[in-house]
Amino acid sequence: MAPSEPRDERQPAPGDVTRQRSAQLFVEFRDPDATDGARDAAREALVHLHLPLVEHCARRFRNRGEPFEDLVQVGTIGLIKSVDRFDTERGVEFSTYATPTIIGEIKRYFRDKGWAIRVPRRLQELRMQITAATAELTQGLGRSPTPREIAESIGCSVEEIVEGLESSNAYATLSLDAGDDSDDGAPSMLDAIGIDDAALAQVEIRESVKPLLEGLPEREKRILLLRFFKNMTQSQIAAEIGVSQMHVSRLLTRTLEQLRASLEADA
Amino acid sequence: MSETNIVRGIAAHADVELRLPADSAYASVLRTLTAGLAARLDFTMDDIEDLRIAVSEAAAMVLDEADPGADLDCRFRLGDGRLTVVVSTTAADPAEPDYESFGWQVLATLAEEASIDAAPGTYSVCLVMRSALAPAT
Repeated sequence: MAPSEPRDERQPAPGDVTRQRSAQLFVEFRDPDATDGARDAAREALVHLHLPLVEHCARRFRNRGEPFEDLVQVGTIGLIKSVDRFDTERGVEFSTYATPTIIGEIKRYFRDKGWAIRVPRRLQELRMQITAATAELTQGLGRSPTPREIAESIGCSVEEIVEGLESSNAYATLSLDAGDDSDDGAPSMLDAIGIDDAALAQVEIRESVKPLLEGLPEREKRILLLRFFKNMTQSQIAAEIGVSQMHVSRLLTRTLEQLRASLEADA
Repeated sequence: MSETNIVRGIAAHADVELRLPADSAYASVLRTLTAGLAARLDFTMDDIEDLRIAVSEAAAMVLDEADPGADLDCRFRLGDGRLTVVVSTTAADPAEPDYESFGWQVLATLAEEASIDAAPGTYSVCLVMRSALAPAT
């Protein structure tokens, strides 16, 4: 379960509470005497109240290559439609009425939006059948099935399976920053693509400085080393070498200036 | 089912050849044919997926060495639950086989056997895939 679901708290008998609250909100929503503001508020509250239903429906479509959040979003459109169209006189529960609409909206999303290339509906449905049959046969056989076994299970020819597999390649596109839908939040493809190392520009400078450092007198080299590699303060260096801190400061400044001048002369 | 049996009946000696322009744009034709043949030889879906990748790598290696305007010659030998694929091209002066390359590592991992044959005038990559369902030999 996604961690970001504060409203999805499983209290004792939440169904009854939700049902009562839902009925009450529908009365408010449909009240002809209510102000527009009150009706909008009731509609809004109804949508929020039933969001867990959308998440429940969307969860059934996980692992099909579309991000869970996107499915919740299109499912919510189905929920809003259901709220607007629900007939309280019918005597059915709202969730009974809304579920097919929500699932229908998600399925339509897969059919219309999911494909990178417009693929005939026959092939789209075949691909879904192949996916389902593959999963089932893999379970039953304890190994990956052959196209012939899938064909027999669906009731079509090997020819059609091969065709269906070809078409599923049209479905393989993935947004660069789409994360893996799993719970541990695997990094997106974009995260896996390398960038120029931030320190790359420093390489050249470091390489040019190296011979200059080699050419420094022993004491100056030691001071630089203690200051910048061992991270010692000027006073500590002064104690270590046996000169005053002021002298260390002067030597450091002079050495750095020399290095900079030689680098610039080189460039 | 009957169509599978037709292929199976003659599979013991069946050879298939495909000649394509040596251009990566045609690699998908090679992949599709390979998958189609493997499907009829009762390779499993996983095997077919591996085979697609292996053949792509082989084709990429061969295309790198192809002379301008050369053909990509693909031969398939089917039988005994094995599919042998040889992808070759004419290459006047092919590079030494690079057994450190990523492509070769992938190919060698996926295929049961794989080899590169580089000689003046020709460069070819051979790979053998065995169906997971074939009886162990």
